[in-house]
Amino acid sequence: MLELTRALQARIEAQGAETYPYEGCGLLLGHSQAGRNVAVDIFPVPNRWEVEEEKPVRFRIDPQDMMRAELTAAERDLDVIGVYHSHPDHPPVASPRDLAWAAWPGYSYLITEVRQGQPALSRSWQLSPDRAGFEEEPLLVND
Amino acid sequence: MPTFRIPTPLRPYSDGNAEVRVAGETVGAALEDLTSQYPQLRQHLYEEDKLRSFVNIYLNQEDIRYGKGTDTAVSEGDKLMIIPSIAGGR
Repeated sequence: MLELTRALQARIEAQGAETYPYEGCGLLLGHSQAGRNVAVDIFPVPNRWEVEEEKPVRFRIDPQDMMRAELTAAERDLDVIGVYHSHPDHPPVASPRDLAWAAWPGYSYLITEVRQGQPALSRSWQLSPDRAGFEEEPLLVND
Repeated sequence: MPTFRIPTPLRPYSDGNAEVRVAGETVGAALEDLTSQYPQLRQHLYEEDKLRSFVNIYLNQEDIRYGKGTDTAVSEGDKLMIIPSIAGGR
């Protein structure tokens, strides 16, 4: 399960609208306990996919940016608990590409659809323990 | 002894520890010690005998690929981090 506040969700949606028609991405910072990931902040990072014309359909988080997120989280007694990215004009469903380049089971993968520049539905996923696919997890947005 | 910082999703395999002190004089030896202390970590870091393609090791905030890879020397007080590359798209 992924929990986050409406305010954080709004920041993620705003980033997706801002980066449209490119995919936008970042890390979720918070706490993780017994399969429950609670995000308390986000760490937006640039989409470092190398081929400019493919950025509407691809994203890449550079390890250097991931390291900065880890250090920032540790300083604040938080953890990197997941990844978020946008799908411009595409449903928020984890794709074969997301699967091929996924990290470890346990991270939440929050995907937000951005339709014609406007944020739409978000859904959250986790890699299955055998790495065979993504499974949807409940997404709880609190006030 | 150097210390490894363990990414959140891997902590169930390091008894919940965010940091683990390891022995060894190179990054490779430190990794060996880490995975012998916590054997369940191995499958998440390695594919057969190689580090998984998305796994990057940083020593004192520098990617070891820009040093001598797993032969890079480590010493007392060094900070090692396991950093994933993440990509995807629709």
